[in-house]
This record gives sequence, C-alpha cells and structure tokens, in this order.
Amino acid sequence: MSEAQTKSKIHVDKVNKSYGENHVLRDISLDINQNEVVVMIGPSGSGKSTFLRMLNQLEKPDNGTIIVDGFDISEKATDINKVRENIGMVFQNFNLFNNYTVLENIMLAPVELGKMDKAAAEKKARELLDTVGLVDKADVSVNSLSGGQKQRVAIARALAMEPDVMLFDEPTSALDPEMVGDVLEVMKNLADSGMTMIIVTHEMGFAKQVADRVVFFESGKIQESGSPEQVFNQPKNERLQEFLSKVMHA
Amino acid sequence: MKKTGKILLIAIIATLTLIGVTNNVHAATKPNYIITTDATYPPFDFQDKNNQYTGIDQEILKTIAKRQNFTYTLKPMSFNAATQSVSSGQADGVIAGMSITDERKAVFDFGTPYYRSGIGWAVKKDSNIKSLKDLKGKTVALKTGTSGVDYALSIQKKYGFKVTYFNDSDTLYNDVINDNAQATFGDLPVIQYAVKNGTQLKVMNPKSPIQAGWYGFGVQKGKNAKLLADFNKGFASIKEDGTYDKIVAKYLGASAATFTGNKKDNNSVVGILKANNGAFLNGLWQTIILTVSAIVLASIWGILLGIMGVSQNAGIRGLSTTIIYTFRGLPLMVLAFFIYIGLPGVIGMKIPAFTAGLITLVLNEGAYTGAFVRGGFDAVDRGQMEAARSLGLTYGKSMRKVIVPQGLKIMVPSFINQFIITLKDTSILSAIGILELTQTGSLIVSRNSQGFRVWAIVAVIYLIVITLLTWLSNWVEKRTRA
Repeated sequence: MSEAQTKSKIHVDKVNKSYGENHVLRDISLDINQNEVVVMIGPSGSGKSTFLRMLNQLEKPDNGTIIVDGFDISEKATDINKVRENIGMVFQNFNLFNNYTVLENIMLAPVELGKMDKAAAEKKARELLDTVGLVDKADVSVNSLSGGQKQRVAIARALAMEPDVMLFDEPTSALDPEMVGDVLEVMKNLADSGMTMIIVTHEMGFAKQVADRVVFFESGKIQESGSPEQVFNQPKNERLQEFLSKVMHA
Repeated sequence: MKKTGKILLIAIIATLTLIGVTNNVHAATKPNYIITTDATYPPFDFQDKNNQYTGIDQEILKTIAKRQNFTYTLKPMSFNAATQSVSSGQADGVIAGMSITDERKAVFDFGTPYYRSGIGWAVKKDSNIKSLKDLKGKTVALKTGTSGVDYALSIQKKYGFKVTYFNDSDTLYNDVINDNAQATFGDLPVIQYAVKNGTQLKVMNPKSPIQAGWYGFGVQKGKNAKLLADFNKGFASIKEDGTYDKIVAKYLGASAATFTGNKKDNNSVVGILKANNGAFLNGLWQTIILTVSAIVLASIWGILLGIMGVSQNAGIRGLSTTIIYTFRGLPLMVLAFFIYIGLPGVIGMKIPAFTAGLITLVLNEGAYTGAFVRGGFDAVDRGQMEAARSLGLTYGKSMRKVIVPQGLKIMVPSFINQFIITLKDTSILSAIGILELTQTGSLIVSRNSQGFRVWAIVAVIYLIVITLLTWLSNWVEKRTRA
C-alpha cells in the first residue's frame, strides 16, 4: 500500500455500482481526512446512500478501490468484521434490536466481540446514555421510545464500539419535526469532539453549520464539492443550483 | 449453532439407540423371526378379547414355532403391507390367509399348502342381485392385494361393474351393507365366517368356490430356507397327530363371540372401554411417543432448514428450498410406504415400522416447519441484520443474537399449529402397521363391529390429547411473549 493512500482516513478510487441496467455510482473517487465532517447532499436516487453503505460494505462495489483506516475493504482477504468495529453506522430507521432493552442494545456488540467485559460495557453504556440525554431509559424496551429517542440510542449503540469513523444515513428523515433538533444536537457535539463523520442528510441548515466539506451527488456522480460556503453560496454546477433552489424554497 | 447441532445429534442417537434396544430384547439363542399377518382376517387372523392375535393361522404358527423351537415377533398390518413387507425383506415370513398363486410364486417361496380355499362372492342380505350378470353398472368392494381382486378384475369387462378398494375387511363389509358397494369378492371361508357371525351379507356360491386353491405360508423368494423347512416339518407333525384338525374345528365350529368377548361388553361405551382399556392405553402411548419424538426432531430439523433457507450462500438456500419442496409435496402415506416398504430392498437393511414412521413424520413435518421458519426469519426487518453487521458482528452471531430470537417469537403460533397437525398425522402411520391409537381402533372394530362407539371413543381421546397439547402450547406462548 502506497504512502499516498494511507494519508487519508478513507480513500475511494473509481468505484462503480450497478443494479441491473441502473448505473447508480459512476467512477466515484473521494478522500476523507481524519476529523473531517463530510455532508453528502443530493436528490433522492442520486447514489449518496449507496455510496455511504459501501464504506462499511453493506453494499459491495462492482469495481474500484475503497481503503478505510489502511484496510482495503474491496479486497476479499480483508476481515470486514474487524474493519466494521471501527466504523459506526446510524440508519434512517434506527434499526434498534427489538429483542433487547436500551442498555442491552448498547452493550451487545462490545460484549459479544470481546471488547469489554459486561461490567465495563454497562458502565460505558450508561455514560453514553448520559451524553445523549437518555440515562433514565436504560432498562426500558426499545419499542416504548419515541423516534428521536430511538435515534439517540442508535447513536449511543454505534459509539459503544469506540469507532473512529461514524456514518449517518439520513438520520433525521424518519423523525417528527420536533424530534429532529435533539438528534442534530447530539451529532453536532460529536462533530465538535473531533469524530470523523460522513453524513447523508437533507438538513441543509445543519450541513452549513457543522460540515467541513459538502459533497453534491447527482446521477451517480459527485457533481461538486467544497466548503459549505462555496457549495451553498457560490454553486458552480448547474444541477446543484437547480437542486438548491428547490430545497431552499421548499 | 454448535449447541443446536449437538442437541440434534444426541436426539438422533438416543432415538436410534432406544429403537435398537427394544428390537434386540428378543435376541436370544433361538432364532427370532419377524412374521407379518393381516390385522383383520377372521377366522384366520384376528384379535381376541384380550387383544391377543388368534385364529387358524395364528394357532398353527404358534404351535409350529413351539415344536420347531423358534420364536417370532408378530406384526399385524393390512394384508397388502403384510405381503409387501416380506417381499421387500422388512419381515421374514407372512401368514395371512394368503392364496398360493403363480404370480405370488414369482416373489415368494411357499411352505406346504395348509388350507383349501377359493373365491366366494357376496351381496347385501336383502339384495336382489341374483347372478354376476346383475352386477352391470354396480360397484364391487375388494380388499387390496387379495386374490379376490385378481379374479374380479379378470371378469370385470365381461360383467361391466366398477371396483373400489379397502385395506381392512370390516370397513369393506360395511361398505356393502351400507349399499355404497353392491357386492364383494374374497376368500370364501372368510366371508362365510363373517356371515356366520352376524355380518349382514349373503354368500352367492357357498358350495362352489371359484378358482379353488390353497393358502400358504410365504417367505421372500430364495431367503429364509431354514424358517420354511421348520414350518413344513412342524406342519407335518401337527397334521399327523390331529392338532391341525382340532385347530380348524375350534375356529370354524364356534361362534366369534367365544373369542371376541360377549355382547354386553361390546354394547356400551363403558363396556368397550373396560374390555379394551389396555389396548387403548397402549395405542395412546404409541401415539404420544410418536408425536413427542416427531415434534422435537421435526422442530430441530425444520429450524435447521429455515436457517439454511436464509443463508447467504445460494447453494445452501437452494438445497433448503429443494428439501422443503420435495417433502412438503409428498403425501405422508406415500413417504411412509416409500421408507418402510421401498427403501429396505435398496439399502439391504430392515427399518422397524416405528423408526420408518418417525423418519416419515420428521421429514414431512420438518419441511412444513422449515417453510414457516424461513418465512419467520424473512419477516424480521432487514435493517436488524444490517445494524448487527455494521457493528462488526459476524453473520452467525447476528443470526443467533438478533434474528433468530425475533424470528422464533413470530413463529410461535405456527409451531403450535404444526404440533397439532403432527399429532393428527400420526394416525396415517397406522397404514404401515404401527399400533397407535387409530390402528388400535381399527382392530377393536374388526373384532366387535361397534364402529360408532369405538370411533367415538378414539375421537374423544384425540380431542383430549389435542386440548392438553393446546393448553401447554398456549402456556409456552404466553411465557415467550412476556
């Protein structure tokens, strides 16, 4: 592996993905640095979620290279489970384990993967619940939580593995409007603490506020990327201009 | 998953050992043979009031065995299954009022002919059928695999009647009496004996048997020469000293009630229960053992099939789909006959009826279980698996910790349903001679002709067991919900 590749936290080179006739990602290349917060925007079906899910191999690329933390995850020999331990993921539909309590959801992975013993995992879980403001919900069933609470638990669950990259796949899209703020606040605190984050979202205000870089996807390609300032205030790409005019006036 | 595998292995070994042990109990110094017979063929083969097999055949066999110093295990079943068990090597010999015919000689070696018989035909007592010509357009009831069938088919075209088949004589006679069929062809002495004992039929050729011939004791062609020689030697001796004549006279001379109990016992539910409580309990016990073993093994096998069915490997998924498709598609009885009567000839190994029945149930119920288990796992939201995998858990761990517990909860009602179906399906295994509750009922009816009362008793016993099973299942369901 060359020096150039190991410098960035995540290195993606010429990745393609098709579902049958549908070419969802076309020659995507992107480098993400340590501590960087990258927000990906774009219309539905533009390929941004598929791209995000490739970074921990929930989707496999047809070709191209993806290197995370120095591990080439597009290589068959790589133990993807080991790599995933260092990449947390938060889903649009929360995906909390319905057969466990809040605390058990957070403790499951660290205990099962031998990262911590039960006592340490429980201590860690309670700390995390404290940071997401849900310490009183530790022992309830996840089905009794509101959407916003579920998503905060999901973030805590991902953080329990002490990852150094966090992926967010439209984390607020399934929430009632009044719940969105709590979740975004937790994410903002996480960004401030220096976590490397890649976020797919439609929350433009949040993107402006926390992103180091904004990437615009359209038709399976990165059409434009840059600082929030550049992307939102001086968009060059015609499609980006069109997209922004729609979402900003909506 | 290792744990499940271990439990499965232990269960299989335990079952096979148990079956092996019960089979070897008879293994003493004397040769022990497995002899099949017709479950209902009075006066040759039938159960007496103590539920022991008796009749002309049985007493001849018993006496010969004693004199020739061999022992045997008797397996009563339908005539058809009884002959096929021997021709497929599952059993050593058959004595079941079997006529010696050229066709059968191709498959069996027969001992000394022991009883002169022939074919008779009978109609309902008050029927206006006078001759074979009157059978045009009518239905003739026949017992599967008997020489009556061969004869009836040989004249069917000439007289233009339809045929229908039965596996036991009692049901067959009732079909004629109830006018569903209008006549029957069968062995003359057997029909005559039934008529003498009150069956409401009229024999049309009492004095002149058609195709008069002889009954013979049969073994698989080219096998069991020693058993056959012993039978012949023993038969010669009972013929010589008059024992044979005494046996025949004993059964033909006396009315059936002498052997099958008095009327009073048979005319009330309480009387029937009292007279047969041992038989009912044995039948119930067989049904319960069969059901419980099948439920446990079929659930394990079904869960395995279900897990294979959601595997990441397309080959394993395909294998699961094929197994489920095959065994869900086969009628239970076909599968039972295939395993019990078909397989042994090919693999050259006897499969005891209970084992064959259990394997049949496990394959069939397991396929149904596999299908709903796979469906249950599929019904667990895909996001659950993705979330587990995204944390770094392996596929196996994700299945075990997240998908399986949630899937099983979804499946509980299906499991309960399947358990009840399994219990009811055990009745089908009466066809291969397993003496479970249904077969017990058949045998008792064949003796006392109290169809309504006996089947009502059997039905109530099934309902009681099913009610208990449902209560138990609901209790388990409540606990898993909590």
